[in-house]
Amino acid sequence: MSALLIKRLFRSLWRTKLRLFSVVFMIVIGVFSGISFGSYAITANSLYDVIYADTEEGVNLPDLWVETHSGVWDEANASTLCTNIETSWPDTSLQFKFCEPRLKLDGLTFYQTSSGEEKLVPSVWHGIDEGLVDRVWLPDDECCEGRLASADNEIVLDEHAASGMGFEVGDSISIAAGFGKMDYTIVGIGFHSNHLYFAQEGVLMPADAGTFVTGYMDASGLERLSNYSAGSANLLLIDIEGTPEYDLQSTTAIEGVQLSLISEHIASNISQNNNSAIQVYDRSGVDSVEFLRADAEGAIKSYPYVTGMLGLVAGITIFLSLQRLIQSQAKEIAVLRTLGVRRRSIMPGYVIAPLFIGGVGSLFGVILGYFVGAPAMSEMYEDIIGVPIIETFIPTSLILQNIGIVMVIVFISGIRPAWQAAQMQPLDVFRGQSEIRLSSRTIQRLTAWMPATVSLSVRSSLRKPMRLAFTFFAVGISMLIFGSMILMMGSIDEVVIGGLEERQSWDSQIYISPGGEHEVIQWAEGNDVNYELLLQFPANPKDDSRQIISQGIDEFSTTDNGAMQILVLKEGSTPQISSQTTQVMVDEGTAHFLDWGVGDIQTLEFGSNEVDVEIVGITQGEISRTIYFHRADLVEILDFEATSVLLVLPEGVEIPADLAENTLGIMVKEDIINSFETMMKVQKQFYVAVEGLGTILAVAVLFNTLLMNLAERDTELATLRVLGAPIKSIGLMMLGEHIAIGIIGGILAAIFSIVGTKILIGAMVQWAFFFTVQANWPVFVLIAGVVLGISIALTPFGMWRVWKMNLVDSVKDLSN
Amino acid sequence: MMEMTGIKRHYEMASGVVKALDGIDLQVKAGERLLLLGPSGSGKTTLLNCIAALDSPTEGTYFFEGNPVPRNAAEQMTTFRRDTIGFVFQNFNLLQDLTVLENVLLIQEIAGVIDEKRARELLILVGLENEIDRFPAEISGGQQQRVAIARSIAKKPKLLLGDELTGSLDSKTSETVMEVLVKACEAENITTVMVTHDESLAKYATRVVRLDSGLILSDNPVEN
Repeated sequence: MSALLIKRLFRSLWRTKLRLFSVVFMIVIGVFSGISFGSYAITANSLYDVIYADTEEGVNLPDLWVETHSGVWDEANASTLCTNIETSWPDTSLQFKFCEPRLKLDGLTFYQTSSGEEKLVPSVWHGIDEGLVDRVWLPDDECCEGRLASADNEIVLDEHAASGMGFEVGDSISIAAGFGKMDYTIVGIGFHSNHLYFAQEGVLMPADAGTFVTGYMDASGLERLSNYSAGSANLLLIDIEGTPEYDLQSTTAIEGVQLSLISEHIASNISQNNNSAIQVYDRSGVDSVEFLRADAEGAIKSYPYVTGMLGLVAGITIFLSLQRLIQSQAKEIAVLRTLGVRRRSIMPGYVIAPLFIGGVGSLFGVILGYFVGAPAMSEMYEDIIGVPIIETFIPTSLILQNIGIVMVIVFISGIRPAWQAAQMQPLDVFRGQSEIRLSSRTIQRLTAWMPATVSLSVRSSLRKPMRLAFTFFAVGISMLIFGSMILMMGSIDEVVIGGLEERQSWDSQIYISPGGEHEVIQWAEGNDVNYELLLQFPANPKDDSRQIISQGIDEFSTTDNGAMQILVLKEGSTPQISSQTTQVMVDEGTAHFLDWGVGDIQTLEFGSNEVDVEIVGITQGEISRTIYFHRADLVEILDFEATSVLLVLPEGVEIPADLAENTLGIMVKEDIINSFETMMKVQKQFYVAVEGLGTILAVAVLFNTLLMNLAERDTELATLRVLGAPIKSIGLMMLGEHIAIGIIGGILAAIFSIVGTKILIGAMVQWAFFFTVQANWPVFVLIAGVVLGISIALTPFGMWRVWKMNLVDSVKDLSN
Repeated sequence: MMEMTGIKRHYEMASGVVKALDGIDLQVKAGERLLLLGPSGSGKTTLLNCIAALDSPTEGTYFFEGNPVPRNAAEQMTTFRRDTIGFVFQNFNLLQDLTVLENVLLIQEIAGVIDEKRARELLILVGLENEIDRFPAEISGGQQQRVAIARSIAKKPKLLLGDELTGSLDSKTSETVMEVLVKACEAENITTVMVTHDESLAKYATRVVRLDSGLILSDNPVEN
């Protein structure tokens, strides 16, 4: 390997500075993104481990939850259940540690906004007495302050709510839990594991400021609010020694076999000794825990692909650039070979060059990722989730992994050009056989009818089909980054906002305890308010811990006929009431994950109660797993009428405070829409940045191809200029060529984006979060239009380059 | 037809001023075939570039058909070339993606006078009637240069310039190409200025101008 040969190669590369910079830039972006996303994933994961840890600083997350949905257990009952669980603990290697009865209730906060408006805010209250498991988290951070509640008129408010609504320690807050309004003093501001992801139950989007409150009282505090006797509970928190594995909703494998066995054992034990409809679940059944875990898992899974994808774009560009370099140096290489330079001396330089480019790009990528990207991602995470990042983790292994991915890609991309350079036959080069490949006869025939300038443009563009194909592929990947954001956000927007605005006509949903619907109905009928009862209850498929929300509705409607909920029927039909086997509809996510289809008969478990259902239809548009029953059918199974009432409020009618005080909470549709829109606003910068990134990459790829095309056609263009072709004519030729490349590239990029996004989403969706990407013409046209726009926008640069061409030097070349 | 007086073309180099042309006076009449002969560095290519308005003289006047030729204005110079000049290069420089016929049509398109019949006639005139649908890489060097000649006269230039146009050809092919050039230029009544090292081409000219060190050494008519 000759140092002089390598020096020569690097000088050649330096002569193509613009191309070199664009390639280094792509690598910088690839490594930067990989480190930023990776750091976010690792930081989030580590944060949850710290929060959930069974230590003084952690909250000691329970391993199993036993929840009753039909009232509460009194102290004696709850204590007996805990004793039974401990004494009948199955014979497994997992050791029982604690069982703590807990009361958790839905309720309301009476909140006066800064404009003086009285607002009823849906709330969740926890009565935390012993706090052996699932303590309130008061991190040593500026977010939080105060102490735990110890008197029955004290409360710790969740930081999300406190900061969103302007509450501080020492303030008084008026709240209710179905039994009248009471005032409490805020003594602390902190977090709780059930609400780290701060969203209302059943709602995927984090709650907007002032639309949701959670508070953590002493057990006596919540008993006072709810009028329940001392020691009442509707939850049993079970802690097991260590942290046992549990079933992940995102996989079909059963990770926590032993925990599942214990869970089934407890469910069967309680149902034998107690009449209450209970549900036993592990961490995957706690929405907040599962969403955050799924989010971190998704980020951990996806960041190597992000780096790889960006690295691949850079790799393709390096490959094409090196090929072009070798082509332009063919004569030099041939001379060297003729002078006796061996193949193995030619090759190393062309292998080292991409590695050098990769190294430089990685260095800058690491610096940017470490000092800018990772802290920015942590900050964004804090903004969106509202949980303080105590420490941002950027492990060395993450940096090495990203550099490794990029270096492998650039190394591979350099091998073939290097091999081609080494394999060049001097005689072929001198005979001109390694020069420009001609357009095929077929292309010539197809374009023969065109004016010569147009056919020249077309044929020049197609002269290097492989280069063009790789360019389109790289543009496709770049636009996949751009398009996937647009498609995903468009689809989520359609599912969340479209679903609520177009297919849900109710204004408010009042949550009630069993039997509490009568008071609401009475008020509604007295005030000309349309209402509809809704019965929601968690179920799970037989021998499967994954939770499905069973929803009993009175009217199945698939068209806009005034029903409060319109379902989108994807397949099959709506259920018939009181069928021999209960007929149901399932959402497409459930059908997808469980492989259920129309006509199947499946068994559902409601606690320990097993029910066979016949699937008659599949619906579309639900993010969470849902199964629809006729409410009357579900009432027969659960033995209570409703869990909430949907209301359409006429102009000027509001839910009165005295009615609200006696409910378990009110969800306002407008608040959910506002929450989503706020979240979108917070994340908009991120989406714009990612879309911009994709666009910049596409620009860089197309720019690189344009530069190569121009460099390759310098002689042609110089000839035309010398022969008197005005810059306008050449500009028009280029424009035509770029329009053609833009249209073809744009169409391919749009197809690539849509197909790629569907595949990506298919791999990303989980039990707790399912949606499909709906491709539509506006998005297709937008993606294709961006590529076309970039391609056209590069024309002036090409014209400028031709304009700056030194014709005297060109003529020298033409005549030598 | 064209008249140059006191033409100088000096280049500022790091090593000092290079006087490529140092006071050239040259008149060319319509129909002449002028051959510029001289050793390397004599200034003949620079003079050709100035005639073609590819380069701008540093000093002196240049009139074509009584009008001053534009200088230091790229697009006006391009227009002058497009309307007035035909150019034949040593390396032919045909566009590889266009067929023989399309190469000729392209120049007509640029000049805004598309006339396929004339393009075909010109190709017949240069003896390429059987090659019109071939790509440049599919024909010989001599044939390519004949296409270049047809291309350069397709837009009816007043002045055809050739820079070492037989430099890449063997002597027999050079003869054929020159014969074709003379025939075509006579048929089209085109004035020609050619630069060459090759003394043997003098027989195709009506006048030979010898240059050295940026100056005209001799200017003699050729007796044929």
